[in-house]
Order: sequence, then structure tokens, then C-alpha cells
Amino acid sequence: MLRSEHSIVKYDFKRMMVQPDRLHRNRDDHYLSLVQVAIELYQDGVGKTRQSLHREVEDVFFDVPLCPPRRVAALLKLLDDHAIFDKEKGAAASLRQKVFSLAAPMHPLVEKQEGMFDHTIETARQSISDALGLPWGEIESKLFSDVIELQVLREFLATIEPESLLSQYNVAQTQAALYRAVRVRVEAHADFKTILRHAKLAGLMHRITPLQTDSLGYRFDFDGPQSSLRETTRYGIRFARLLPKLLACRDWSLTAEILGPREQRFRMSLSPRDGLKSPLDAPEEFDSELEKSVLSVWESSPVDGWEMQRESEIMVRGQEVLTPDFVLFQSSSGRKVFIEVVGFWPPEYLQEKCKRLSKFLANSHDEWLLMFTPSKTGESQAYFEKLSLPSVVFTQRSKPEEWIPLG
Amino acid sequence: MDSASRPIRTVVDFHQGTLRVVGLSYEFIQKAINDVPLIWDERDHCFRCDAIEASHLYSRLKDTLAGRFDWNVEASLPKIPIQDHRKLSLRSDQQDAIKSFEIGNKRGLLVMPTGTGKTVVAIELIIRHQSSVLIVVPVRDLMYQWHSKIREATGIDAGLIGDGVHRVSPISVTTYDSAAIHMPRIGNLFSMIVFDEVHHLAGPWRRDAARMSIAGVRLGLTATPPRDPQRLSTLQSLVGPILYEQSINKAAGNSLAEYSVRRIAVHMNAAETEHYRELSKQVQRFMHEQRQLDPLFRWEDSYKLTASTEEEPERAQQAAIAIRAYRAKRKIEDQAIGKLRVLEDLFRLHADEPVIVFTGSNVMARAVSIRFLIPCLLSHCAKRERREVLEGFASGRYPALVVNRVLDEGVDLPEVKTAIILGGLSSERQAIQRLGRVLRKNERDQKAILYEIVTDATNEVKRSRDRRRNDAYRPKVDSKEDGERDAAK
Repeated sequence: MLRSEHSIVKYDFKRMMVQPDRLHRNRDDHYLSLVQVAIELYQDGVGKTRQSLHREVEDVFFDVPLCPPRRVAALLKLLDDHAIFDKEKGAAASLRQKVFSLAAPMHPLVEKQEGMFDHTIETARQSISDALGLPWGEIESKLFSDVIELQVLREFLATIEPESLLSQYNVAQTQAALYRAVRVRVEAHADFKTILRHAKLAGLMHRITPLQTDSLGYRFDFDGPQSSLRETTRYGIRFARLLPKLLACRDWSLTAEILGPREQRFRMSLSPRDGLKSPLDAPEEFDSELEKSVLSVWESSPVDGWEMQRESEIMVRGQEVLTPDFVLFQSSSGRKVFIEVVGFWPPEYLQEKCKRLSKFLANSHDEWLLMFTPSKTGESQAYFEKLSLPSVVFTQRSKPEEWIPLG
Repeated sequence: MDSASRPIRTVVDFHQGTLRVVGLSYEFIQKAINDVPLIWDERDHCFRCDAIEASHLYSRLKDTLAGRFDWNVEASLPKIPIQDHRKLSLRSDQQDAIKSFEIGNKRGLLVMPTGTGKTVVAIELIIRHQSSVLIVVPVRDLMYQWHSKIREATGIDAGLIGDGVHRVSPISVTTYDSAAIHMPRIGNLFSMIVFDEVHHLAGPWRRDAARMSIAGVRLGLTATPPRDPQRLSTLQSLVGPILYEQSINKAAGNSLAEYSVRRIAVHMNAAETEHYRELSKQVQRFMHEQRQLDPLFRWEDSYKLTASTEEEPERAQQAAIAIRAYRAKRKIEDQAIGKLRVLEDLFRLHADEPVIVFTGSNVMARAVSIRFLIPCLLSHCAKRERREVLEGFASGRYPALVVNRVLDEGVDLPEVKTAIILGGLSSERQAIQRLGRVLRKNERDQKAILYEIVTDATNEVKRSRDRRRNDAYRPKVDSKEDGERDAAK
């Protein structure tokens, strides 16, 4: 991710919108060859300091009209992220200690000798060089090699293509714009579970509202604990962390509330149509093979009047959420059966789980059904009877009508 | 909210730097505890406020609910007695500061100039507190320094939070930035919080370091309370009112050495002058053109202008070139070769005593270090190297030391009578803190000297003038005029 000083955004004061900097196919094609040159400078730059690499790359872009210096700084940050620089802190520090200790008795080093006892720079360097058995040039170049800008490039990772660096740039600038966000709204019609899981991992809080649209969908409003007390950009970095995960999902749109100049509120909108490429793969369609076969068994003999949906419903209790693996839905009555596919855990653990699942039932005529795969350890009838929720064992020969409770 | 569900027991817990209250009705809060800023949060079905309200909320709940509530706010750290290993008696001004803090309900700011023993006062208050304490400092160096001072005073190996370390113990030291980051997780561990150089707390992000802590005892230390009333009132709401104030004038006669300031102007060499003039012209031309387009155009606007490559491509390009020229110009001011020559003369003049050189940048600090082969303290130096350098300098093993101004504030440098400033900016805060180095109390009755080397005919002269307008330079500068004449020979 970029640092906030690399962020370039455009504020549209008429519409109060924010547009992060983006390089476009066609319009910005001339960047491809420049970035190629920059990549080559890094590839051939092993042994050079970070400072001199940066200067070389800056020179490449300096002649380009319309290229803001921050854009170059951001590209350099991305290039640095693909590079390994020497970080042997101890070596430079111990060299310094030796050099300064040797020089101390000769202080102050003068340019030209005046008095008998004056030590000149030349003589001091020579004697230190002799004492350490290294040429002075080498000593001087290593003396501060632990300073970030003077670190030496050891390795440039990967054979990165200019196209992919530019697409990383576009994602990174969008993330950087989110650093100033106070709240993010995502409306999604798929991959709810993935979105919520990653929001939770990023430490965000949510409000969840079903969308009143034809196709199933939810609105997620993400922010953090402090957000109910004041406008804060404290959670901006968490939104930024969520973004690449969201980019890998399907059928969503994002609106961020962003604090702009003079604390004015702007909006940023984003959807898959923007064409930002996630560095991650799309989420797996099924969590497991098992879920896939449950669905195919249902589809081969569905029960009349009932519909089976996968991960379609989000059950919310405050900041706790649950996405059942399947929902069986009878449209005539509105009844629902929520199915969780579970393994053979110790019964005490499963009882706890049953309690937790029951708490999520909002309507008294809805039910849970636990679905087990055939046991290899031979759990008996007694095992299932200990559980407070109904259960079935699923095999390829299971009959879907047995999943539907009576009444 | 669902107020029908009342006789639920009232529960308060700590949630990421905030307090959650469940089991109270809106009506009750309105009627009984409306002086606590509680806000209904439907996301968690609770009322919420900042953790800073903890002691206030606790006492209000105790008054109104007569103990019928669960207070699950503090996380417990193992209790340790804080022993007193010190062998010192506090000066009367230090005792006054302590008394003022205790009378002031143990929430507030103590304003004391550098060198008057702010740390001594804080450690006394920490020992009196006898419970968990978090100390928040501006830079990592200070974190280690506090760590060793606490060990000296109490024998306790304090925890460190920051600089890649995350060791939480009942007495811990952290930086402002680490505190703002980690407070959602550690904000309920400490019953006392100390903000060293508290003026840093007023920044919007760092405020969270104070807001997200439940600590009831809050101590802020500074030599320079912000002049801006808004920032000052922010500090007062986050820590408390100013409870004690000692001015530098009072301190100078009392616990600080006397000092004089000598400014030495350095002329650029011919090559520098020519290059400098060329660059200045370039910047002036740019500004002139921009003012034609926009009479209100200021130099600061050119940074923004570089980004508007789509709306105004040509201007953006010109701005980028002008900024390059400006930076090159500043570099000549900062690193004029003549400065190193003057430095050589001053080193000769003070060859028999320790000298500290302050620079305005890491680059200049390294240039001085390489030219004279003397150790430099930069922000990147590891703890061990820093200690080795400081001990070596204090014991006379190293004759001189060059320090970047990043390490300005409060970092304990050995006592010296001679310091030299190269470059730097004109803010008052920097001036006072810097003076602190040479102002430290010394046994011998000899005046300390602060040299200031600036580049002539450049903006640096103006900056130096600005700086000397500050209060810090006014007292005791009787020898200034002579000094200037002497040194400018």
C-alpha cells in the first residue's frame, strides 16, 4: 500500500466527488514504455543505492509532460515493494564506531595544516584506511549504508510486466484515497460471505440492510467503534485493506464518504465497471466439494414449492453475523429451513453451536437443520439425539424431501 | 431503543477505545446522567462514549445506581509495588509542581522549561501513584531514555510499545504514534497516563491516544504550551488545565546556566553564489508568471499545482520545475561549503571541550560526520549505537557530536558549554528546546555559548532573525553584540 503522501486525488467541487488518480489504457499508453525503462533500471540496478535508483527513475519521468512528481513517487514505492534492499544494520554501525574512534584523537580534522600538530583530512583518512585494511572509498560508501535512502539494492523480485505495475498503481491510488474515508457503503448481490469475512478480519463494524431489489442483495455500511461518536478517518486504512478483497468479488458497488479539504465531505464511487484488477483470485464458488454435491442432489430431485439457495441469507444479531450454507424456502408460506453442513465434533461443542444457531432464528416457524456426512468413526443414534437441533446424514443417495420438516 | 426490556442489569465494558453501556434506558440517561456524553449506537444496541470518560461515568453511575451495575472496563495487569531507589531531594520548584498537580485533581499540565527536571517530577508522581502507568513520548529515543530512567528510579524493567517492540507491563512507555495505533487494545490497562512534550497531543490523529485511554490520572509535561488557543483548549480537554507554569526567565537564573548567542554569517563561494542566483531567478520568474494569472498565488500553492496535470498541464510542469529549483536553492543554503569551514574554526577554538552540533537535516548531519569523522545521532541509529555514542561523548572519548534536530526534544544529551546550530527552522519551540541543551546546569560558573551558523544573503538570515524574536533568546544575551562582531571577523 502507498503512504498517504503519495495519494493523488481530484476533487470535483460541483458534484462533491473524489476521483483517485488512474492511468488509462490508450490515453496513458506512453507510460508503458517508461515503466518498462524503470523496471529495467531496477533489474540492472543491483548494487546501487535506493537514492540513486530513485534519481534515475525520476529523470526518466521528468521529461514526460503531465506527470506529477507524486505519481513518480508512488510508482517508486511500488517498485521498492518488489525489491530487496540490504539491511545489515549492525555492520555499518560497527564500522562507524571503528572509524570515529580512530579519528577521535585527531580531532579537529582540518583542510590545510597550519600548526605542527594539526591533522588534515587526508592524513586521517589514510591512517584509518591503513588501520582497517580497506580503501577509503569503500569505507566512505559503507559508512551509512544502513540509512534507508543509502541502502543498496540486493535483488529485484519477479519479472513484473509494465501493465501489471500500472494496474497495481491504479488499485494503490484508490486504496490511498480510502485512507481519508470515514464510512464505506457496499451494495452487493453476490459473495456476501466473503465480503463480511474480510470486513471482520479488517476489524470493521457493520450495519446490514437487505436491498429492496429484484435480485437478492444487501447493503453493508462499514465503519468502526469510534464512528458513532465523531467523524473519524481512523478506520481509513481498514477500508483500504478490504478493497483488494472486494475487487475479487462479483456484482457490487462501493460508495465511500471521504473527508476532503476543509473537512468537507466528498464521495467516491467504485464498481467492477471501473476495471480495477484485484491481485487476488475470485473467491471459490463453493467452500467445499460437499456443498457442491448437496446442491446437485437437490437439483436432481427438488421438492415442489420449495427453493434451495446457497449462502443467500445473512442472519444478523448486532455485530454477530451468520451466513447459513443453504436456505430452503417455501414461497407459499414464507417458511425457511436453514442448513448448516457440520463435521463430527465432540457433542459438547456441537451443543454450544446449536445454542448459538438457535439465537439467530428471527421467526418461530423457521428451523435449523444440521447436515452431517457419513461418519467414519461410527457415531450412533445417541450422538444425534444429544443435539438440540434436527439433523440428517447426507449421502449422494439422500432424498431432499427428508430435509423438509413436517408441519 | 427497546426500553421495555429494562430491568436488565447495567453493564459497562471497554470496546476498542470506547465504553459500551447496556441496560440503561434513554430516559434514565437524559434524567440522571446527562452530563456524560453518551450516544446511542444501534449497531451494538448500546450507548457509547470515549474511554476518556471512564472515571466520570463510573462516579455518576455509582451515584445514581448505588452499585447495581457491572463495571467490566479495566483489564487487570499484575500488580507490582513501585519502589523508590532514588537518592535525591526535590528542589522547591519541583515540589511546587507536584503539589499543584495533586491539588489540581491529578489531571492537568505542568509547564516547565527544558532542563528543569520535568522527568524528575513525573517520576515522583509515578511513584506516588503506585499503580499502572503509561508514558507517552514523541520519539523512539525518548522511549528508551524513559525506560532507563524508570529503571534507575524504581528498579522496574518497564514495558515498551513501539519501535517494533510490543511488551506491555504495568509501567510501559510508548510513542504518540504507537499509542494512537494501539490504544484500542491497551487503553483499559493503565490508570495513569503521562504525556511527555504534551504539545504533540493536539494533532487530530494523536488525540486518540488520550481519548481512548480510561486513565483517571492524567499528566501532561511541556516547555512550550501551544499559543493557539484552540490547540491549548484541546490539550485541556484531553489532559486537564495548566496547573503549574515556570517561565524560562525564572528558570535561567535558578536552575539553568546562563548563556550567550553568537550568530555567524557565512558567505557562499563563487560557484554557489552563481548557481544560487540562477535558481532564485528561476523561482522568482515562476512566481511572477503565476501572479499574473492569479494575484493571490502563494508559493505553497505550487505544490498543489504540480498535481493538476490534466486541467493545467503547462502550469503543472512549470511548477514541478520551479519546485526542483527551490529545493536545490534550499540545499545550497543548508549545505553551503563555507559552513563546514566555519565549523572547522569553531572546532579548533573549542578543541579542548565537548561540542554538540545541531543540523537541520540528516543529509547535513552525515556531511558533517563524514567531513570531521565525528559520530552523528540520527533517527535511524539503533539503541545500542546511540548509547555507545552518548557514553563515549560524555566520557570524553569522542570530542564532538553532530545531532539532527529530529532528536531535538528532550533527548538527554550530555551537558556541554558549547553548541553550534547549522540551518534549521525558525519555530519558537525548536529554539527553546535547543537552548535547553547548552542551558543545562553546570557546576563551573562559566557562560555557555550557542553559535548559530547561517548562510548570508539567503532566506536563512531572515529565519534566524525570526528565531531570535522568540522569547527564548531575549534573556541574558548581553554579550550578543560583541559576540557577533567577534565571530564575524
